[in-house]
Amino acid sequence: MDKLDIPQGTLDLMILTILAREPMHGYGISQKLAALSHNNFQVNPGSLFPSLYRLEQDGKLKAEWRPSENNRNAKYYTLTPAGRRQLERHRERWDRISFAITSVLEGA
Amino acid sequence: MTFLRRLGSVVWWLLNRNRAEQGLADELQAFIDLSAADKMRGGLPAAEARRLAVVELGGVEQAKERVRTYRHGAMLDELGRDVRYAFRIFVKNPGFTIIIVLTLALGIGANTAIFGMIDALMLRWLPVKNPQELVQVTFQAPGATTPPAESFSYVIVRALAEQRQIFSGVAGFSGFRFDVGSPASRVPGAIVTGRYYEALGLNPVVGRLLTREDDEPGASPVVVISYHYWERAFARSSDAVGQNVRMNGVPVRIVGVSPRGFVGANVGSTADLTIAVAAFPQVKPDAAPLLGPGNFWLRVLARPAPGVSRAQAAARLNAVWPQISEPLIAPHWPASRRKEMADSVFQLSPGGTGWTYLREVYRKPLFVLMAAVGLVLLIACANVASLLLARASARQREVAVRLAIGAGRGRIVRQLLIESTLLSLIGAAFGVGLAWVSGRFLVNMISAAPGRVVFDLTPNWHILGFTSAVAIATGVLFGVAPALQTTAAGPSLVLKEDARMSGSRSRLLPWLVSVQVALSLVLLAGAGLFVRTLRNLQNLDPGFKAEGVLLVDLEGRRTAVPDDFLDEIQRIPGVVSASVSTHTPLSGSVWSEPAVPAGQRIPERDNAYFVGAGPRFLSTMQLHLIAGREFTNRDSADSPAVAIVNEAFAQRHFAKQNPVGQHLAANVRGNRTDLEIVGLVRNTNAAGLRKAPPPTVYVAYAQLTGDLPTALAIRATGRIGSVVSAIQQALQSKLPGTAIEVRPLSAQVEATIVQERMMATLATAFGLLALTLACIGLYGLLAYSVAQRTKEIGIRMALGAQGARVVTLVLKGGARLVLVGIALGLPAMWAASRWVESMLFGVTRTDPATIGGAIVLLMAAAQLAAYLPARRASRLDPLGALRHE
Repeated sequence: MDKLDIPQGTLDLMILTILAREPMHGYGISQKLAALSHNNFQVNPGSLFPSLYRLEQDGKLKAEWRPSENNRNAKYYTLTPAGRRQLERHRERWDRISFAITSVLEGA
Repeated sequence: MTFLRRLGSVVWWLLNRNRAEQGLADELQAFIDLSAADKMRGGLPAAEARRLAVVELGGVEQAKERVRTYRHGAMLDELGRDVRYAFRIFVKNPGFTIIIVLTLALGIGANTAIFGMIDALMLRWLPVKNPQELVQVTFQAPGATTPPAESFSYVIVRALAEQRQIFSGVAGFSGFRFDVGSPASRVPGAIVTGRYYEALGLNPVVGRLLTREDDEPGASPVVVISYHYWERAFARSSDAVGQNVRMNGVPVRIVGVSPRGFVGANVGSTADLTIAVAAFPQVKPDAAPLLGPGNFWLRVLARPAPGVSRAQAAARLNAVWPQISEPLIAPHWPASRRKEMADSVFQLSPGGTGWTYLREVYRKPLFVLMAAVGLVLLIACANVASLLLARASARQREVAVRLAIGAGRGRIVRQLLIESTLLSLIGAAFGVGLAWVSGRFLVNMISAAPGRVVFDLTPNWHILGFTSAVAIATGVLFGVAPALQTTAAGPSLVLKEDARMSGSRSRLLPWLVSVQVALSLVLLAGAGLFVRTLRNLQNLDPGFKAEGVLLVDLEGRRTAVPDDFLDEIQRIPGVVSASVSTHTPLSGSVWSEPAVPAGQRIPERDNAYFVGAGPRFLSTMQLHLIAGREFTNRDSADSPAVAIVNEAFAQRHFAKQNPVGQHLAANVRGNRTDLEIVGLVRNTNAAGLRKAPPPTVYVAYAQLTGDLPTALAIRATGRIGSVVSAIQQALQSKLPGTAIEVRPLSAQVEATIVQERMMATLATAFGLLALTLACIGLYGLLAYSVAQRTKEIGIRMALGAQGARVVTLVLKGGARLVLVGIALGLPAMWAASRWVESMLFGVTRTDPATIGGAIVLLMAAAQLAAYLPARRASRLDPLGALRHE
């Protein structure tokens, strides 16, 4: 099946949402994203890591190295309180956008 | 907060760069490990799983690079890396780097030097308080087409200073050179009105500055010395204040020292000694008339009162003028001239950069030169661009590798631009040095006797800012095309074995060379026009023979000159003839009076130049006498007044009649005089080489009264040096306290064409520089194309082409580029020459000989540049060439 492009600006929202449930490493995030999107989205690590680094530097994420499932060290990302607030704001906006779009499409 | 955090992260990044890089590498490795492990669980063999994982990641280095570009502080980091990398590249290619830096140093240096002159002449603020507030006061008669007059009479300046609701300060000033000490030397100084220092807002370093009281009638003369003079003559001793300086033989007390860096409001000259106008006649008795209302000699800078704008000040001044003008206008002026003055309109222009006559003379020449050096820099840019393009092929593989391992194209373009900008900044650094050195040469060139031009050309922030801006713009200009070119191919193409340049660079290079040729043609033809102008002026017969004539200025010393004075000089060995006159040709100062044939009404306006001349003046100057006689010793104060007229005067007033024997009615120094014409003399270009000879009346020096400007004219042969010292000795004993300057008349003539000489010299220098650069560009291109076509040329030669044919082939290629360049250059030259038309003399702007000469020179130089690669091509060994690559 063809993958969809991730819409501009929504990758941060999805990363924050996934990390809100549990801390996770980069590979885990990319797998989770694929699974949750029913394999419609496949995030390119070349896009994922820059986003993770930016969110970390902006203080939305916190990272620490700890053993992963295969006993190798991996960098786990956790949401900070600032990240949680950002998630809420983005989520709210996204809900409004999708509500608005859906309304237009169905009302027409 | 955000900013602080970002700043923090930049700092953190700089401090922990290595750890962060390691962390990133580890994280990507972990990603691959985890991904591979997943795939192995799915049944793939370990090696295949790992390979797929890396492919999915899209390359480890690419991912790293993308993360880096997102990181705060990454820019700074990359810049540092790029700069280090650039320097490594420079060191690896020293010859290449030196050629580029040298080319840019010449191009940027020339721009900096000319800009430095423009800055010193026009842009620099006077070192005074709030110079931007100052305005220069000028006036213009109603309906006048001439530029506004800049000089005012003393009484008008004083009246302006009293308008306190308009101006908080008014400064009138004029330059003068005093004879100081004994034996006397000339020291540049200034004559200023009382509120001069107050208006400029200056404070003394020691003592006090001049005040209003110093500029009142009867005030004892005092002098303010410049910091520079204080340092030189008094070693900055505070005892200087209170001491006397002998100025023109008169002791004048020093009252203070003006601030460091301030050398007067007259830009380009230094005022070491400054006295008040009212004190001037005490130092120089014949200057008394300068205080009267008929003499306009003071330049005026003023500071509008607080809250008054320049426009408001001008409006108020023009409203006030009709009410105050009546007593300020010379009562002896004819009514029409009085009315004209009363109706004049004042104008205020920004005055914070001071005043100088040099601005009028050099504004346009300097702008023309600025444009010329701009073109030179463009040519230099084209050269450097083509060098970089030529090298692009060598670097394409390196760049392809970098593209392949994950650098973005933008990233590499930036790297290449940083390289080119660095090159041009290094070139600029050398250029500033070059400009500093050559600046002195430029100032010397415009320094005509008698007043030396003094400019401080130490690079200031104006100049450094200008040069940096030029350097960066230059770097981008010559760097963009090669950078885009180098990265255009992408990684895949160039990694192939037979890496070749794509076609577009070979399209761009020939155009660059043609444009260089076109610009060189413009500059060379322009230089030709200026050289012709200078030649024409030098070869012009001015009507007198300047060679061999020595001048001694004895301003206002007439009463001190005994009658046998000239006889004594006449006896000096080597002196052919000695004479005296009030005005020497091309001295810049003239005297005019109204004169008409007797019986006609004397007009109100002056209509002729007057020169007071002693016996033997015509023979000393070798002015050709057409009819009648020259003045003799018998033309004395007691004998009938006589005159000699020139052809222009005779033509105007006597048509075809012989004027000798006729009488003139004239106003000579305010006295109605009847003059008998005793001689007719050839015209001279006394008022300027470019100006038509003015109608002139020579009157007998001995028959003039009062204090007159006086200059001795002495024709000498043999060893001029010993004649000069003999003259000095003879005069010094008679005139103690006066500096005796003996100078050749030819220098005075030369001084009038200083501007033309500067244009001819600099335009030639820049034209040749442009030509050289264009030829280097052409040589580079042809050498490169010969190298590229080695195989083709080899085949031709193997098939029987002779060496001569190959030479022709290459030369033809070069000639085509040059012809295209000339075709582009001719219309450009035609358009640009309109701008300099008014600066030319005796040559039209489309002078075919000049343009043809420029074309011939250009083609010859270009053929020479093309011949070297052509010869190399003709000496190729066909077999070797075929095996090439």
